[in-house]
Amino acid sequence: MTTFALDTATPDPALALVADDEVRAEAWLGRGPGGGRRILEGAHHLFAMAGIVVADLDAVVVGVGPGGFTGIRIGIATALGLGQALGIPVHGASTLEALALGAAVCRHSDDEVVASVIDARRGQVYAAAYSVGAPGVVREVVTAAAWDPGALATALAAVGPCVIAGDGADLVPLVPGVRRAPAGVLDRIGPAHLVALVRASGPRPVAPQYLRLPDAEENRRRREREGAVA
Amino acid sequence: MGDLVLAIETSCDETAAAVVDGRRILSNIVSSQADLHAVYGGVVPEVAARHHLTTVNAVVDRALAVSGTSLRDVDRIAVTGRPGLIGALLVGVATAKALAYAAGKDLVMADHLHGHVAACWLAPVALDPPFVALTASGGHTRLDLVEDYARPVLLGQTLDDAAGEAIDKGARLLGIPYPGGPGLEALARDGDPTAFDFPVGLRSRGPGGLDFSYAGVKTALLYATRDLGADGVAACRADLAASYQEAIVRPLADRLIRAAAQAGVPAVSIGGGVAANGRLRALVEEGAGKHGLSVAIPDRALCTDNAAMIAAAARFTEPIPWPDFVGADAVATAPPGGIAA
Ligand SMILES: [Zn+2]
Repeated sequence: MTTFALDTATPDPALALVADDEVRAEAWLGRGPGGGRRILEGAHHLFAMAGIVVADLDAVVVGVGPGGFTGIRIGIATALGLGQALGIPVHGASTLEALALGAAVCRHSDDEVVASVIDARRGQVYAAAYSVGAPGVVREVVTAAAWDPGALATALAAVGPCVIAGDGADLVPLVPGVRRAPAGVLDRIGPAHLVALVRASGPRPVAPQYLRLPDAEENRRRREREGAVA
Repeated sequence: MGDLVLAIETSCDETAAAVVDGRRILSNIVSSQADLHAVYGGVVPEVAARHHLTTVNAVVDRALAVSGTSLRDVDRIAVTGRPGLIGALLVGVATAKALAYAAGKDLVMADHLHGHVAACWLAPVALDPPFVALTASGGHTRLDLVEDYARPVLLGQTLDDAAGEAIDKGARLLGIPYPGGPGLEALARDGDPTAFDFPVGLRSRGPGGLDFSYAGVKTALLYATRDLGADGVAACRADLAASYQEAIVRPLADRLIRAAAQAGVPAVSIGGGVAANGRLRALVEEGAGKHGLSVAIPDRALCTDNAAMIAAAARFTEPIPWPDFVGADAVATAPPGGIAA
């Protein structure tokens, strides 16, 4: 059973090959021009490195966001295209949950909540917080959404001791009980964690998690609300 | 080498896939998003891209099923690589790359505008060069000399708005909902095209004098509606529509015929969404009759955005062998020469 996992929701595309119980290969393409557009090229090299061909895949797991809209779509389109051509299942997994699983290693205790925070631009972050249990098992304690950093800090303070990880961690003001994970490797999405999530919680639909409406729709709804008031 | 092509097109607001065998269309599936965009009064790129993602695999499945073929049977996969809305293009390109990579097929990155021209290559029109092609839609307005399907040569193009864009904007000024083309044409049928003297969308840049400009006519309609006031507009909506439509489609027909005469070719073609306009068709037929030119107009389904035309363009575009296309990328803009073939 060989599963290909990919996540292109963040600027550092991540991919992995996971055999039954072991991670056979894991790679990050790094921040750079083209973002998730490089994912299939990365996959081709990863397969070659691991000594497999694409037809050897049994399943695909893809990070469905949140993150960059275009990146999310490229990852999902790539995963679904592979699944369609190979006739193999494709599962979705939350990018924020995968981030939390990776960052759980730096908790001071099992009770500490892990907050996943991704830079959403425009002064916001895509974030959620989880209590992390058995391997692959996460329970959401702060809802995944596009948060204003100040409001997120307040929400995190309310759930008890908490450690923040992700490329948006620096944007969240620190409040008592909330600390930041050491910057660096924990900010990346662990692609193998996507597979662990699916294994622990069963198949999930491949539905993009944008967490934001298109601007045009946001504006249309605002006009509608203002029209209703006027 | 076989010639069975699976093609995918997602450059704007239609999610499309087709299976084409040589010149023969086996399936041509289009899932239109027009209704989704109507509430915004135009195509919203992010809305388009989101919808492409939820639809494209099913559209590909349907194209294969209707054609009675499978992915295994096709000789290569083609996809629109440029130009278009980048987020929309990327959904099709990522899908096509993954399909081709997993199925072990070569990939053709085709040019959308090349597709509009190459639609005439498909049966039953099956037009052979040389001819002059007019492509007019909401996104493009151009004339190409086609002596070889592989290398259309740009003769003229719009310097500002596309013809279809001008039609939509004018329709909106007259209170016709998006997309305004069919409504404007229906209204114009009861009107007098000479009632208003709108500036005709011509520009004589370059030696051939075959460019177009539609910013002026749009502004003229705006001023006319302001001068008339709501009651005045209501009284002569049909005349306004007919005159406005005439100012847009007549230069298209005139330039097309003139370009063909200058180039000394025996035929002209029209494509793009505006090719569905009955007044344009009538004017082109009339002009072509005077000059002894034959006129090729593909079915409406091949004029508006579709994937069969991308398969046709792919027939004249160098494929990228497996797996060299893994790094291939979509591009929003047209290349300097106009068409990337
Ligand atoms: Zn088009």
